[in-house]
Amino acid sequence: MMRTLDKYAAIFPVLVVYAVLFLLGLNMSGMWQLMATLLFYCALGQAFNIFLGMTGYVDFGYVAFVGMGTYGMAVTITSLAGTGLGGLTIIAGYIMALAFSGLLSLAVGAVALRLRGAYFAIATIGVNEGLRFLIEGTNLWGGSGGIIFTRQLNDILGKDASSALATFWADVLVLIIAVLAAITTIVYMRSKIGYALTALREDEDAAKVMGINVTMFKILAFMTSACFAGLLGATAWALKTPYVFPPEVFEIHYTIEAIIIVMLGGAGTLLGPVAGGLIYGIGKYVLSIVLPGFQLLIFAPLIIIIIVAFPDGVVGGIRNKFGHTALGRFIL
Amino acid sequence: MFGEQLLSNLAQGIVLGCVYGVATMGLSLIFGVLKVVNVGHGAFIMVGCFVTLFFFNSLGMSPFVAIPAAFLLGLGIGYVFYYSAIRRLLKAPELSTLLATFYMGVILQEVVKLIYGSEYRGFRWKVGSLSLGFTSLPMAKLYAALGSIAVALILYAWFRKTRAGTAMRAVVEDDEGARVCGVNVGGVYAMSFALGIGLTVASGVMLAMFLPVGINPYMGAEYTLKAFVIAVLGGLASPYGAFFGGLIFGIIENGSYTFLAAIPGVEPFGMTRFLSFAMLLIILLIRPTGLLRAK
Repeated sequence: MMRTLDKYAAIFPVLVVYAVLFLLGLNMSGMWQLMATLLFYCALGQAFNIFLGMTGYVDFGYVAFVGMGTYGMAVTITSLAGTGLGGLTIIAGYIMALAFSGLLSLAVGAVALRLRGAYFAIATIGVNEGLRFLIEGTNLWGGSGGIIFTRQLNDILGKDASSALATFWADVLVLIIAVLAAITTIVYMRSKIGYALTALREDEDAAKVMGINVTMFKILAFMTSACFAGLLGATAWALKTPYVFPPEVFEIHYTIEAIIIVMLGGAGTLLGPVAGGLIYGIGKYVLSIVLPGFQLLIFAPLIIIIIVAFPDGVVGGIRNKFGHTALGRFIL
Repeated sequence: MFGEQLLSNLAQGIVLGCVYGVATMGLSLIFGVLKVVNVGHGAFIMVGCFVTLFFFNSLGMSPFVAIPAAFLLGLGIGYVFYYSAIRRLLKAPELSTLLATFYMGVILQEVVKLIYGSEYRGFRWKVGSLSLGFTSLPMAKLYAALGSIAVALILYAWFRKTRAGTAMRAVVEDDEGARVCGVNVGGVYAMSFALGIGLTVASGVMLAMFLPVGINPYMGAEYTLKAFVIAVLGGLASPYGAFFGGLIFGIIENGSYTFLAAIPGVEPFGMTRFLSFAMLLIILLIRPTGLLRAK
């Protein structure tokens, strides 16, 4: 019992942060939206970290999986509206979102993960953009006009319930996804999967020679990460704002945001994405109030400085310093 | 009718393809020497477009004059970015350089936005047009294509005939070996990055001829993506490969439009884009050294 507790102790700081964010948002008036945004960033970072942080591969088209999750939910809601399934439609939407992002990640992973480094990054950008233009070019799912399903969502859940979903429950679902992603991360890290991924991140060829099935573990991490992205898209994008447009859900900027969050906090750490999400979210919020219109001009050089000065991120830096002390078990 | 359309699109494709080619050489050069992918590539092209705009509208000068000016400005920007950040990130994981170059692009975007605002701008350089029978090509675009070919030839000569160019090729082949032979590898890295950025900014001058109303601080993203496809066509690490890749890309992009427009229910603009990214993936998987080079 003690040993199990010790093994998973590092999850507690993460849960504490999530609880604090949730309670702050709940009890302080006007804070909910900010806290929801911070939770979304943390969840996004946590989800992306499972692949980016643990394998060291840079997926520059990560947003495609968020987009596919959004489409999964949107397509389900529009095609099941009027069947009288009610809340079951949302569950079906989640299954569809998982199927969309899971299948896409399986296909992309099986093919593109044989590329390494910059080649993999470029290939994944290609997947992201290719998918966007395939939808636009073939007029799939409304083509470049996208899908607007506010009316269908209102029909299914009723007006009050769907507005409560958009303003409150979708954010709670994001929190649940964030917690699930954190639990998955620590379970992976503390099992054979984590050791295999660390080995392949440090030296893929050596890991292969040692008999680790690198392909399987890479695809596992890639799919896990993509499925969480799909859930996030279905929740934070589809249920919260019931429309989906290809240029928006495949916007490369969101991938960059996810990368920064992971990088700021410390890639491959459990606490990193949470720290990164908080720093990025709060920083962006403060700059948008203090210097509206100029935030990117300040943000861009700041990010470059951080990348140069703290290559291991905040948590990575702290762990290098305090990792061997009694605090160490809480910093992972 | 269909044939005439196709021929006209192909002619446009060849002309634009030369410009695409020179606009990608900088990306390939930087990747070839430093193994850094410049994700902010398009923003540097955008700067070149604005330099042209400044020369044409504010100074009333020919775009030809803007080419060397844009090149020098790019060289300067390249050196600043190299010594302030890239140099310290060469040993870091890809993640760092990918993010850093992306945000360098953002810095340029925001600075240009501060000066020019974010509305679409452009200019028309009225120097007549060349009639080919089935279509007519504006001379401005032809000059841009010729300028691109000239820049590519100058770069080729520079690589072959100068000591600095030879040193750069040596570093591409084997940086340890070059170091042993007394090549200042750090200096070559800096020069390659600056030269790559200089070329890219200069290529923006050529591209501006094709954008009479389309110059905007945020125009770069599209060209970053196109440059990736072109660079992969040409083998990613080879500047000459990139030039021919650009030519092929221009022809396919414009040529396929005619065919795709003939298919009912398909939105041809989106499909040409899809085709180019499908091409990117296929080439990365079956022939990562590029179309032109046999390994």
